[in-house]
Amino acid sequence: MSDAKIGVYVCHCGTNIAATVDVAAVARFAATRPRVAVARDYKFMCSQPGQERIQKDIARLGLTRVVVAACSPQMHELTFRTACQEAGLNGYLCQIANIREHCSWIHADREAATAKAKALVAAAASRVAHHVPLEVTYAPLNPATMIVGAGIAGIQAALELAETGRDVYLVERDSTIGGKMAKLDKTFPTLDCSACILTPKMVSVSHRKNVHLLTLAEVERVSGTFGAFTVRVRRRARYVTDACTACGACAKVCPVTVPSPFDELLGERTAIHKAFAQAVPNAYVIEKQERPPCMEACPLHQEAAGYVALIGKRKFKEAARLIRQRNPLASVCGRVCYHPCEDECNRGLVEQPVAIQHLKRFALDWARAHGVTLAPPPVAARREERVAIIGSGPAGLVAANDLALKGYQVTVFEQWAQLGGLLATGIPAFRLPRELLEEEIAWIRALGVRLETGVRFGEQITLETLRRDGFRAVFLATGRRDLVRHDLPGLELAGVISGSEFLRNVNLGTDPHPLGRVVVVGGGTTAVDAARAALRLGSPVTLLYRRTRAEMPAMRGEVDDAVAEGVAVRYLTSPVEVLGAAGRVTGLRCVAMRLAGPDASGRRRPMPVPGSEQTIPCDLVVMAVSQRADVASLVEDGGFARTGWRPVAADPETTQTAQPDVFAGGDVVAGPSTVVAAMGYGRRAAEAMDKYLSGRPLTDFTTHLVRPRNLARENFRPHSYAPRYADTPRAPREPMPRREARERAADFGEVGTGYTEEQAVREAQRCLHCGVCVECRECERVCEPEAVAHAMTDVVEDIPVGQVLLATGYQLFDARRAGQYGYGRLPDVYQGLEFERMISSAGPTAGRVLTRSGRPPRAIAILHCVGSRDENYHRYCSRVCCMYALKFAHLVKDRTDAEVYQFYIDMRAYGKGFEEFYGRVLEEGANVIRGKAAEVVAARGPLAEYGALVVRCEDTLIGAFREVPVDMVVLCAAMEPQADAERLKRIFTISQSPDGFFLERHPKLDPTATFTDGIYIAGCCQGPKDIPDTVAQASGAAARMMGMIARGQVAMDPVRASIVAERCSGCRICNNLCPYAAIAFDEARRVSVVEQALCKGCGTCVAACPAGAIEGAGFTDEQIFAELEGLLAV
Amino acid sequence: MATAARTATRLDTAEHELRRAFLAEVEGIPGGRRISRCLQCGTCTGSCPVSYAMDLSPRELIARFRAGDVRSILASRTIWLCASCYACTVRCPAGIKVTDIVYALKRMALARGVRPARYPTFAVAESFVHQVETHGRNNEPRFMLGFFRRAGFRRALGVAPMALRLLLKGRIGLKASRIRAVADLRKIMRRAARMEVRVEHDLAGGTAPVGYGVVGARPPRPMPAAAARVPR
Repeated sequence: MSDAKIGVYVCHCGTNIAATVDVAAVARFAATRPRVAVARDYKFMCSQPGQERIQKDIARLGLTRVVVAACSPQMHELTFRTACQEAGLNGYLCQIANIREHCSWIHADREAATAKAKALVAAAASRVAHHVPLEVTYAPLNPATMIVGAGIAGIQAALELAETGRDVYLVERDSTIGGKMAKLDKTFPTLDCSACILTPKMVSVSHRKNVHLLTLAEVERVSGTFGAFTVRVRRRARYVTDACTACGACAKVCPVTVPSPFDELLGERTAIHKAFAQAVPNAYVIEKQERPPCMEACPLHQEAAGYVALIGKRKFKEAARLIRQRNPLASVCGRVCYHPCEDECNRGLVEQPVAIQHLKRFALDWARAHGVTLAPPPVAARREERVAIIGSGPAGLVAANDLALKGYQVTVFEQWAQLGGLLATGIPAFRLPRELLEEEIAWIRALGVRLETGVRFGEQITLETLRRDGFRAVFLATGRRDLVRHDLPGLELAGVISGSEFLRNVNLGTDPHPLGRVVVVGGGTTAVDAARAALRLGSPVTLLYRRTRAEMPAMRGEVDDAVAEGVAVRYLTSPVEVLGAAGRVTGLRCVAMRLAGPDASGRRRPMPVPGSEQTIPCDLVVMAVSQRADVASLVEDGGFARTGWRPVAADPETTQTAQPDVFAGGDVVAGPSTVVAAMGYGRRAAEAMDKYLSGRPLTDFTTHLVRPRNLARENFRPHSYAPRYADTPRAPREPMPRREARERAADFGEVGTGYTEEQAVREAQRCLHCGVCVECRECERVCEPEAVAHAMTDVVEDIPVGQVLLATGYQLFDARRAGQYGYGRLPDVYQGLEFERMISSAGPTAGRVLTRSGRPPRAIAILHCVGSRDENYHRYCSRVCCMYALKFAHLVKDRTDAEVYQFYIDMRAYGKGFEEFYGRVLEEGANVIRGKAAEVVAARGPLAEYGALVVRCEDTLIGAFREVPVDMVVLCAAMEPQADAERLKRIFTISQSPDGFFLERHPKLDPTATFTDGIYIAGCCQGPKDIPDTVAQASGAAARMMGMIARGQVAMDPVRASIVAERCSGCRICNNLCPYAAIAFDEARRVSVVEQALCKGCGTCVAACPAGAIEGAGFTDEQIFAELEGLLAV
Repeated sequence: MATAARTATRLDTAEHELRRAFLAEVEGIPGGRRISRCLQCGTCTGSCPVSYAMDLSPRELIARFRAGDVRSILASRTIWLCASCYACTVRCPAGIKVTDIVYALKRMALARGVRPARYPTFAVAESFVHQVETHGRNNEPRFMLGFFRRAGFRRALGVAPMALRLLLKGRIGLKASRIRAVADLRKIMRRAARMEVRVEHDLAGGTAPVGYGVVGARPPRPMPAAAARVPR
C-alpha cells in the first residue's frame, strides 16, 4: 500500500464540469496528495485519447492505482475499469470520484465547488490505496425464458425467442392469447384486418414445440437472480381438459349466458365458452367465479343453481336427473327440507329468494308424471365388507345409499315397523306423502341395501353382536326422541302425550280415534304439525304458545296454514297444571304471560301475569316442547360420552367416535337439527367409512361441509357481469298453489299442489346465476371426448428461467370517471374498444353500426383525448387515439351513411403513412372540429330532430360555441397501466414511472431493459404505443435476451459480502436481514455463510453484524475509513 | 366576438404594467401558474353556461393574455358575466383555475376603473355591496335605484310599470330597513377586507393595496403598519 503509485485524472466533461470546477486546480491539488505519482486534467476522459492517456501512464510510470474524477460511476466506471484492465491493471484498482452529478451540476459557486471536488478527489485517492484486486466471476445462465402477457408484444417476442430452440414460457392471464389486438377490426393506417395478420402468429406460436403456452395463468412470486430465476405461476382451472376438440356442443346446452368480455360486454356468451372463433389454445373454458351460495349452503352440496337454470330453460327431465344424481331422497327434500339454500339465495337481496324447494319438487313431480326414470349413479365394483347402519332416518338412508354406490354390503336396522325414521314417524302425511318416501326408500333398496325393521339397538343387536356378525363398520344414526320432563303437575295423567310421540302414533296409525278436544303446547314445527294432524282427525284444537307470533320458531307459512285450517292459537299463554279426574285429563289450567327482557337465547323472556289463570277444558294434552336424543341404550352399550346437547361425541369432520369402527352422525350427535343436515352427516359418514375400510387416513374429504360464510351479503352483485342488486329488475316470487283450507283440513292430502310448468319456468328465471357457472353439468353430459372436468383445481408451478420479459399491456381508462361524457349513463356513448367490436364483422352486431335501439345512426361523434392529456386523469398523450379515431371515421364513411365529427385538440399523425392517412380521411368527408368536447347530453328541443345526443364544444378555430347533434358518441379513452401493474412491479422488483407504466432503463438508449438485470419490458406496459412500435420493441427485447442466451453466462460483480468464519458468533441476525436471501446458516459449523451467487453486495449484513465478521469486498472498513480521512483532510 | 387583437411586437408601457399586475394576481391563486399550460382546447367555453353572451370566450381570455392584450380582457363583458359555476375549472384538462382567474381580472378592472362600454353588470355588484355596507342588508328597491344611478336611469323605464304595480300591492316599499348593529357588521367587513388584502408586487404605483372581497367598497384607507397585521 505504501508503495502504491496513484494516477489522478480530472475530466472537464466539456463544460459540464469545467464551467463550475477549476479542474486544473483540482489536478494540481491532487498531485500534492500522498502516493500520487501523476495528476492530469483532460477535456473528455471517456474519449479514446483520454483512456489511452491512462493506459500509457500505467505502462510508462508503473501506476498501481487510478482515480478518475469525472461523472457518476453509473455512467463510466465500467469504461475506466476496462481501460485499466487492458493496460494490465486490475479494474478494481480504479476508483471514480463523482465531481459532475455530485458537484458541478448541483453547485453554482465555483470556488466552493472546486473545494468540494478537491475533497472528493482526495477521498478517492486515499481510498484507492487500500484497494485490492478483485476478479469478476461468471455464473451459468438458464437459457429458458419467460414472457408474461401474450398480446402482440408477447407473441412476437415468443416467436423470436423460439428461434433459439430453447424453452419459452408464454404466460397469459386470459383463456386465449392475442391480447387487445385480437379485438381490433382494422389497423391504421394501412387498414389491414387485425385478425388476418394476428391469428397466423397466434397459431404459429402455439405450434412451436419449445414455446409453452400457459393460459389462465398468473405470476405469483419470483425468486433467484439474473440467469437463474424461479417463477411461481398459478394456473387457474380451465375445467376443460386437453381432450377438448372445440366442437362447441357444450355451449349449445349451457343454460347461463353472460355479457362477453371479449366483445366488451356488447355481445353474450355462455358460461362454458371460447373467447372468440380463432382463440388459441382452441379449447373451451368454464367461467366459475364464486360458487353459487345456494349450493354452498346445502349440506348435500346439491346443485340448486344448476337445476334451477335447467328448469328456466324448460329442461325439466335434465333438472330432475341432476337432482337425483346427488340426492337419494330428492322428493322428500322437495317437500320437507328447511332449504338453507333459500336463506343464502342472493335473489333475497333483490326482493325474495328463488323458491328453490318448490322448483325441486316441481322437477321431480314432473319426472314422475311423465314417466321419466331417474337412474341412480352407477354402482362401483362390489366390496365384500359389511356395514351396519342403525336407524333408517335421513342420515342413515343417505349413508346407506352412498355406501351401496361404493359397492359395500349395507344393512340398515330400524326399530319401528316403518322405514324412514323421523320422515315416517315425525312428519305428517299432509306435508310428506307416504308414497314418495316409500318410492325413494325402494330406490335405495334396489341398490342392494338390506333394510330390517323392528330391530332395536341395545336389545336385539349391540356393537358386540354386529362385530361378531361380520360388520366391519357401524354408523349410529338413531336420531332423537323427546325425553324432556316438564315439572308440570298432572303430567302423569292419561291423555298427556309428547308431541313427537303423538305424531308417531298418528303416522303409525296407533292412536285411538276420536281424540276429543285437544290442546297442543309449544311453538315449534312439531307443535304445529301435531295441531294440524289432530285437526285432520276431527278434533277441535287449541295451540298454546307462551310468547308471541314473532318469537314462534315454526315456519310462518305453516302457522298461517294452521290458523286458516281452524287451529285456535293462544299466544302468551303457558300451562301451569294438567287437571284430571279419575286419572284422565279433563282440562289444562293456564296463565297469561307478558314478555320481559331478552334471555340467554336472545328471545324475550315470558313472565306470568299474576291472577290471570284460567282453565281450558280438554281431553288430550300434547306437550310439543324441546326434544333430546334418546341415548340410554347407546350409553349403556358403547360408553359414549354425552356432552350437553350433543348426546354422542363424534368428530364433526370425520364422524368417527372414540371406537374407530363406529361412526355417528345426524341428530344423535348434533342435537335436534334438520332433515338436510342429517343427510349431510350421512354422506360425510359414508365417505369416512369408505376411507376407514380402505385403510386410508380420514383426511382430504371431498364431501361438502357447510361453513359459515357471509360473502353473499357483502357482495353487491351475484357475479362480475351482473347489475348491482339495487339495479336488478324486480320480479316477485311465484306463489305455491294450494288447496282450500277447509278442503285440506278434512284429509291428510298435501296442502300445496305444486307449480305449473309456466310457473316453474317463471320462477326459475328469477335466478341470478351467481358465480356464472351453476354446475348443471349439461356440458359434462354432452361432451363426447369427456373433456369437461368440474372438479379441476388450480395448479401452482415453479418454473426455472434465466430471463423474463414483461409484456403485460395496458387497460382502457374508465370513461365513467369523466362524467360529462355520459359514458355508462347515456345509452349510445361507447368507448373505442366497444366500437371496435361493433364494427368488426366477427363482433356482436356482425359489423353493423347500430344504436342500442337498433337503428343506424345519422351522425357519429368521435371524441379525442378522454382521460389523456388531462391533468385530472392522465397527463400523457395516449398516442394511438388520433389515428384510430381517423380509422373509425374512414370505416364509418365506408360502411354507413352517417356523418362523422372528430373533436380533437391537436391531430397527431407522427408515424409512417399517418399524415397521408389523415389527408385521405379528410378527403372522404370526415368533419373535424378543433376543440375538446365539453360535454355530451341527451338532445332536447329542436336539436332532437337531428340526433339523440348533443355534443357541446367550442369550435376554437372559429371561436364559436357549437352544439352538434349525433346519434352515437365514441370516446377515445386513454390507455393506462394495468390495474395490477403495481403488484407485478413488486414481484419483479422493477420500477414504474410517475404515470404508472413500467420504467425502462434509459428512455432513449435502453427502452427494453429495466433496472433489474434479466427483466425486460416491451409493448404498452412500458408506455402507450401502436402496433408497429410494440412489435419493434418486442423484437428488440427478444434480441437482448438472445444475446445473453448466446453468451450463456452472467458476469457477477466481485463486490459481495463474505463472512469470516472465525469471527462469526452464529447469531444469525444477518440471515433474515438479507433482502436476497443469500445468507444461510451452516448448522455443522454454527456459522452463517454467504451464498456468493445470490449476494448483490448491498452491504446490509455488513452493517448489521455485531461481531464485525462480515466484510464487503470493495467496501472494507479500512477502505471506508481511508475515504473519510481523505475527505476530511482538505 | 368583438375587438380584433392588437398585434404588437413589443408591449407598450401600459400593457406591460397590466401584464405584470395580472401575473402577480395569478401568482396568488394556488396553481395559478398553470395558465401557461393552456392547450386552447375550448373545454372552458364549451362547458360555460353563459358563454353565448360573452364577447370573448374564456379560452380567448387566455389566448389574448398570451398575445399581450390584457387591456381588451379587462374591458370585456366576459369577466362580468361569469356566473361562478366553476364548470370550466372542474373540466379544464390543463388544471387551470379559470373561475379564479376571472375573479383576479375583476379585481384588476375595479382597481383600475376599467369598465366595459355600455355594459353595466359591474354596477349590480357595486350597488349590492353599497346596500349591505349602509343598511346591513339588501333593500331591493334601493338596490335597484343604486344600480340605475350607476348604469343610467334610462334602463329603469322598461321595468317601471312592474315596479309600480309591486309598490301598489305593497310588495316593495321605499323605506329602508336596516339591521340593528350596522356598525358592527361594517367592522366585520373591514376586517375581512383587510385579511384578504394582497400587496401587488413591484408595481409602478408602489405597494398600493388592492382590496377585493368587498367589491365596490370605497378603496380602503392606507393603514398604519401595525393595523395591517392580521391578528390571529
